[in-house]
Amino acid sequence: MDRRHFLKQSTLASSLFFVPNFIKAFESLPSHTLGFKRLVVIQLSGGNDGLNTIIPFNNDNYYRNRPTISISKSDVLRASDDLGFHKSLLPLKKLFDQGHLTIINNVGYPNPNRSHFRATDIWQTASSSNQYWQTGWIGRYLDEYGNKPFNALEIDDSLSLALKGQNTTGIAVKNPYVLFKTSQDPYFKNVLNHYQDEHLSEHNLGYLYKTMITAESSAKYIFEKHKTAVSKQDYPNNEFARQLKTTAKLIASNIETKVFYSSLGGFDTHAGQLNSQARLLKTYAESMETFVKDLKQQGTFNDTLIVTFSEFGRRVKQNAANGTDHGAASNVFIIGNQLKTPGFYNNLASLSDLDDNGDLKYTIDFRSIYATILDKWLAVDDETILNASFQKLKFI
Amino acid sequence: MKVQYIQHLYQRLGFGIVPNQLVQLANKDRHQVVEELFYMSSSMTNLSIDTTDLDHYTSETVIGNKKKLFEFRDKSKEKLKAYNLAWIERLINTSEALRERMTLFWANHFVCRDENIFHMVQYNNILRANALGNFGDFVKAISKEPSMLKYLNNKQNRKQKPNENFARELMELFMLGESHYSEEDIKESARAFTGYNNNFEGEFIFRRMHHDYGFKTFFGSTGRYNGDDIIDIILEQKQCARFICKKIYSYFVNETIDDAKVEELTSIFYKDYNIEKLMRHIFMSDWFYQQEHIGAKIKSPIEFLVGICRTVPVTFESAMDVLKIQKLLGQMLLNPPNVAGWKGGKNWIDSNTIMIRLKLPSILLANARISTKEKGEFEDAFETYITKKRKNKFVNVTVDWETFEKQFADYSINELQELLLLPKLSEGTKTYLKTLSKSSKQEYCVQLMSLPEYQMC
Repeated sequence: MDRRHFLKQSTLASSLFFVPNFIKAFESLPSHTLGFKRLVVIQLSGGNDGLNTIIPFNNDNYYRNRPTISISKSDVLRASDDLGFHKSLLPLKKLFDQGHLTIINNVGYPNPNRSHFRATDIWQTASSSNQYWQTGWIGRYLDEYGNKPFNALEIDDSLSLALKGQNTTGIAVKNPYVLFKTSQDPYFKNVLNHYQDEHLSEHNLGYLYKTMITAESSAKYIFEKHKTAVSKQDYPNNEFARQLKTTAKLIASNIETKVFYSSLGGFDTHAGQLNSQARLLKTYAESMETFVKDLKQQGTFNDTLIVTFSEFGRRVKQNAANGTDHGAASNVFIIGNQLKTPGFYNNLASLSDLDDNGDLKYTIDFRSIYATILDKWLAVDDETILNASFQKLKFI
Repeated sequence: MKVQYIQHLYQRLGFGIVPNQLVQLANKDRHQVVEELFYMSSSMTNLSIDTTDLDHYTSETVIGNKKKLFEFRDKSKEKLKAYNLAWIERLINTSEALRERMTLFWANHFVCRDENIFHMVQYNNILRANALGNFGDFVKAISKEPSMLKYLNNKQNRKQKPNENFARELMELFMLGESHYSEEDIKESARAFTGYNNNFEGEFIFRRMHHDYGFKTFFGSTGRYNGDDIIDIILEQKQCARFICKKIYSYFVNETIDDAKVEELTSIFYKDYNIEKLMRHIFMSDWFYQQEHIGAKIKSPIEFLVGICRTVPVTFESAMDVLKIQKLLGQMLLNPPNVAGWKGGKNWIDSNTIMIRLKLPSILLANARISTKEKGEFEDAFETYITKKRKNKFVNVTVDWETFEKQFADYSINELQELLLLPKLSEGTKTYLKTLSKSSKQEYCVQLMSLPEYQMC
């Protein structure tokens, strides 16, 4: 071994030796203590028709396939030479113009499933279409990097598979006050006051007591955080907007929650699509606009990333009932203040080269989006959580 | 037979036992008690609901008529809700307890979901009919059911373009378990299941045009196999019997597997795949009644809900309420999460479901209020006023306390605890229960049901 090489090695070794203890300790800390970056995930349940959301207004195939339900050129809010927004999405178009929105086209996965339940499972677990996983991708994030159920919250009554991990599971909280009141039932309090550690040794029963204790303290923590925060924004009067308002308040409260999960349902437009989708998109866009305003006012927009997806898009060809049937690939919206590629991330896939079912072919795997977010936004090891390696994208 | 053993037996293979039934059984020996259970389930009552208003939807009217098809689908969805409620009611009121329990078990084994009410009812009753029968016949029947043909895409499995979904799950989830077959076995067996189809009326149709009549090599032997042949070959693998016995042991005895016991069961089951014989062996075994198994399992949401309603009869005013409760608890009948089914055990419990479980008895039975009244405490006039005034908003139910009082008339208030809770209480909880006033059986019943111990069976 020559001297230079030796020196190099020994400095490396010795410098490792001198790494102060507090830095080593730092490394083993769960990452959420290292930053305040937060993720908000929104599912448009039922399968949103991506083609009538972001419209290819210069595409003859689009108009030919949808004689009665296409959005006419003059109604489109143009965003590029060939793509534009549905007119209900004006508030979203504004975010787009301000550089706060990236639209990723043709997001999907190989051998797409067209059942709501199965497709939702696939998106929530990040599995392939032939795998049946029992934990969600956010749940596995909690397993690896979280230590408290409230590190991931679903703003709803019950918990989605997405937030269920092997050992740690998120919490569903539609109304922090109700959750708190339930957990504070004087009878439960008394039972817990008499509780002794011996329970913990009992296999299943111990687990119930332990979960009861965690639930009680989590509900209290969430409620107290929520109580301290105020929102000065006037949200639209609908359930989805209320979910976002709760999310904004919790973010403002500095709660130790990294991921928020919400959904807006009703997108399964097999019949009479035009009116129902217009109404839903309006609800989505107006609520989102207020939410972003709220985050900006609180100064938390910079550290919040909002991802919107649907379990599948819809068939290119409309059906006889003035609606569309279950399809495959569709668009994903990324909203934030630190976007590297605001605007359209990629082109819309061909409307003439479709898959066997007549659906859009995917060009970007949804797990690439997850991997990018886990790696670049939440700064954790995406491969551990996704159980595989996916190509990272450049939108953040 | 010891009272606790009868309770254990009825918890695991029924949905709990009501006191007057317990009295009748207490003088009998194990053999008599077990035989009576099997005797009661030797009959089979189909579960159906009124669908006459959908009778005009037939192959002729629906096929090729999208509008009609959507119309049928929407109505069918509504009927499925009614069917869900009918199933819950069946579980509460059945006299064929063992058969219903087995049906529920198989529904989470041959997991399937379907939006077509006709097909789903048919499927559900196939589970019921085969629940205690021959496992091989059972699998063959399932493989030809319209709901399953759709659910695992075997309808799309054709000679020219095989679809392996059903063949894969047949081995992985229904018969052998992961890693006990090769990818080649899946490919070859998928070819044997080609041509399976069904009509709108729910009849199995074999389409010769789509069936692959060629040679298939499967588990080392070669032949012009069809689907039934494949199932027969799998049944010859002892692993198949072992896989099912392990699942049965985990569900009926203990989630902590005792390999020796599973082998004991396997050697019995492998002989003829007779489900009834297997179950009888378990319930007649001494080891089934060991203390470590009693009260050691976490109830599934359905066991929990049905158990409450069997002790205190509850009438729901709306099917939607029953669905809502199932959703919040994390198990909606006819809506399994995926083909692997509900995982069960600790997976039922998270921060949300534990709170809902502890709160549900009081929500259903006592306007969401659990008394904390201690010994010697006077009736609080204000509390009474509040309780009476507050209308229950979460669910609308009528509670039949009269039947409850009748059932428990011969028991003292202190005996309620042993009747309702199976696991041994911890010292702390025992101490706390002693401080309670116990002035009303109804109140004490709600208190006991609101303990984590009540979640165990």
